[in-house]
Amino acid sequence: MGPSTGIRLVGFAVAIATASPAAAADPAPADEPASSATPYSPYAGRTHPMRPLFGDTHLHTSFSMDAGAFGARLTPSDAYVFAKGGEVTASRGQRAKLSRPLDFLVVADHSDGMGFFPLILGGDPAILADPQGRKWNEMIRSGQGAEAAVDIIVNFGKGTISKAILPVPGTPSYQGAWRKTIEAAEEANDPGRFTAFIGYEWTSNTGGNNLHRNVIFRDDGARAGQIEPYTTMKPLGSDDPVDLWKWMAAYEEKTGGEVLAIAHNGNLSNGRMFPVVEAFGRKLDRSYAETRARWERLYEATQTKGDGETHPFLSPNDEFAAFERWDKGNLDGTVAKTQDMLEFEYARSALKLGLRLEAELGVNPYQFGMIGSSDAHTGLAAMEEDNFFGKTTPQEPGPERLTATFVANPDTGVTIMDWEVSSSGYAAVWATENTREALFDAMERRETYATTGSRMVVRFFGGFGFEPADAQTRDPAAAGYAKGVPMGGELGAAPAGRAPSFLVAALKDPLGANLDRIQIVKGWLDAGGALREQVYDVAWSGDRKPGRGKLPPVGDTVDVERGTWTNTIGASELIAVWKDPQFDPEQRAFYYARVIEIPTPRWTAYDAVRFGVKPLPGTKLTVTERAYASPIWYTPGS
Amino acid sequence: MKHRAARWLREPLLHFLLAGGALFLLHGLLNRDASPADGEIVVSEARVASLAEGFARTWMRPPTAEELQGLVDDYVAEEVYYREALALGLDRDDTIVRRRLRQKLEFLFDDIASAPPPTDAQLQSWLEAHAAKFAEPERLSLQQVLFSPARRGDGARGEAERALAELRAGRGPADPRQLGDPTLLPPALESASLPEIAAAFGNDFADRLEEAPVGEWIGPVPSTFGLHLVRVDDREAEELPALAEIRPRVLSDWEAGQRRGANDAFLARLLAKYEVRIEAAPAEALERSSPSVGGGTRP
Repeated sequence: MGPSTGIRLVGFAVAIATASPAAAADPAPADEPASSATPYSPYAGRTHPMRPLFGDTHLHTSFSMDAGAFGARLTPSDAYVFAKGGEVTASRGQRAKLSRPLDFLVVADHSDGMGFFPLILGGDPAILADPQGRKWNEMIRSGQGAEAAVDIIVNFGKGTISKAILPVPGTPSYQGAWRKTIEAAEEANDPGRFTAFIGYEWTSNTGGNNLHRNVIFRDDGARAGQIEPYTTMKPLGSDDPVDLWKWMAAYEEKTGGEVLAIAHNGNLSNGRMFPVVEAFGRKLDRSYAETRARWERLYEATQTKGDGETHPFLSPNDEFAAFERWDKGNLDGTVAKTQDMLEFEYARSALKLGLRLEAELGVNPYQFGMIGSSDAHTGLAAMEEDNFFGKTTPQEPGPERLTATFVANPDTGVTIMDWEVSSSGYAAVWATENTREALFDAMERRETYATTGSRMVVRFFGGFGFEPADAQTRDPAAAGYAKGVPMGGELGAAPAGRAPSFLVAALKDPLGANLDRIQIVKGWLDAGGALREQVYDVAWSGDRKPGRGKLPPVGDTVDVERGTWTNTIGASELIAVWKDPQFDPEQRAFYYARVIEIPTPRWTAYDAVRFGVKPLPGTKLTVTERAYASPIWYTPGS
Repeated sequence: MKHRAARWLREPLLHFLLAGGALFLLHGLLNRDASPADGEIVVSEARVASLAEGFARTWMRPPTAEELQGLVDDYVAEEVYYREALALGLDRDDTIVRRRLRQKLEFLFDDIASAPPPTDAQLQSWLEAHAAKFAEPERLSLQQVLFSPARRGDGARGEAERALAELRAGRGPADPRQLGDPTLLPPALESASLPEIAAAFGNDFADRLEEAPVGEWIGPVPSTFGLHLVRVDDREAEELPALAEIRPRVLSDWEAGQRRGANDAFLARLLAKYEVRIEAAPAEALERSSPSVGGGTRP
């Protein structure tokens, strides 16, 4: 029994929020000498999470139809071996290993057509009996794998795959794939050391607008094995998220288990990810908001198909907004992007829209925490810039990926090159221990942050009583939990005359680059009903002085020609207490921390050196890795 | 099943032959129509029944007479094509057919090769023979105090060395962290393997602890975060867990090992019947085939 059952109730947030100001009223200084009531051991009674656990909530293997079609041959079991730090042979034959193990992994293969590709490849008799199946089988055997893949994906998108061959829930082939998925997770799960979640990706993609959700189970195979994944094709499934949420409720009802969904980065949804007026023909109402807020407490803010925090069009004053953007169209490039879509598909604007919807509907549907994940289709959660195994199998390391095309739609002119694929990201979770239950519960309380692949440590607390001295204590987390709420939490009513203050700290990745700065991003609904945002620099390396409100850049040590950099700039650790200077207790607001690393070589720079290939003009060769901590919300009169 | 099987009873090839024979008999019984003289195709009653059954499984109803006739006609056509294709040798250079046949033989052999369950003694000796695979790594418990050059500048090293002298002389404060700087780094790690230590403090730091004495402050140990004074409080030696603790893991590894061994032996025996001549050096062959796909829309 974890706290997560309670988390779903609105009461959870209130419980934390009301507890914190009370504690904040009489904070116990962390360095106070031991009194008779204090145990000798400074660690006795400490129950808060001590280190973030890093993982990937979104990884495909050959069981995903498109992944298999593109040449992925690794199975869910291989994916877990690799995530645990083992060496595997990647689908194109190269040996692959992470610099260090991950702490957890969700193999999230596509719900629709799960296990389809191994059947086609294996020449399953039922597949060969069907003209379409036989055609693809023959194409793949004759070396036209890429063409077959395109054809399969196009037919899948249009719903024109022959019913006789598509594994759907209820068929032995589909059940077999789901059973193998579960078995792989059960075998890899090692409580205390490594968590292998059971999960899948619900693949709603109508019109090429990506509304995928990763569905993650808190439970073991005894429960998850009682159902089969929810698919998108009628009559068994639906492409409407509302129906997925009903399915999730039914799962919990049937099995007594628990399940959550994380929406895929919305940047390829063409404005559909965060609706404000209507969705799937129904007006947005309180029930929609409540249901979405219940089932989708996290959002995937960054992944290989680009970064989804914000966009320069939406955040013109944010000099870090133009980062790994994919803003040319939807998932298959059939509809080009227009600027009016952007507001409804980026994390920061959605957090803002949520404030307005909460004012209108009484519930905030977009009160989500943030994680990053890979969405790799290789079975390899390898998102390190110098050890990047690509998004798809053809993008596994090789000279081609500096010049090859990823998406090209001649009708719309939408073209995305392989070099634009991001080596990003991971999910960091402040769980009390490395188990399915503890990780799931931490996800449900949104105590998470997204990283673009770096494993920096980020602490972020909000309250009404933080003082500069809290940044000097030896255990900032103790002060943070005692005097406030952690990332993902909610602040209660502001004591008269007090503005919220935040304790924020970051520690560089032990194997990575130094830190440039910590920022706090505030979004709020102003008195005139306008949605506003502001980025504050709150801690930075060196003795830079903000001029005209902007902190000078940290510098750049990257030698692109050689693919090197040094930690001679930046800081290994940053910490600050920051108080909102423009707080209005009448206005709804959220605050989230963004931590930026110094510039380092992007994977493209390492590839150019290792393969001796000249990058295409315009190729980005440096990157500033970053982390986004889940917001802390302030609601007036709550 | 603890009886002591005679050696020949465990002989994989024998198993294979026996099973092959059984399969042949079974096949003959079920498919009386399948092996008549050349030029004759007989569709037995059992075959017709099985065609009807297959139809019913898919469509949830029995076939009509017309549909069943269609199935039978199709079966006859398939048999004709099958025999003619074999006669033309179309199975020979077809990857799918070859792979499928190999798979069938492998599966067949896999099923037969499964040995009786091992005894605990067998598993214990397997565990010991593969100790490296099952051993728990050495684990250290340690505490550390950080001296941050970012906060102290060039003086950090000297101050760390003076603090080290204090601690070694037993004059340090009850909480040694009071000598150092605030940090998000963990003040202590319990039962951490060297890779886990490296994951928290970096490789240089972990390397320095490989030989560090127990119960003694050492340093300054440099890391990517600064200079540390470190005391290793405990070392739990690399240890082979008891069989009871990890029996399922050992069992599945043992089974995989048996299968591998049996498969290799099976292949070796089959290979003995052949003389293999490879006419191109593998290195040259590699140059001619570079796997590459590209272009088009991707996920």
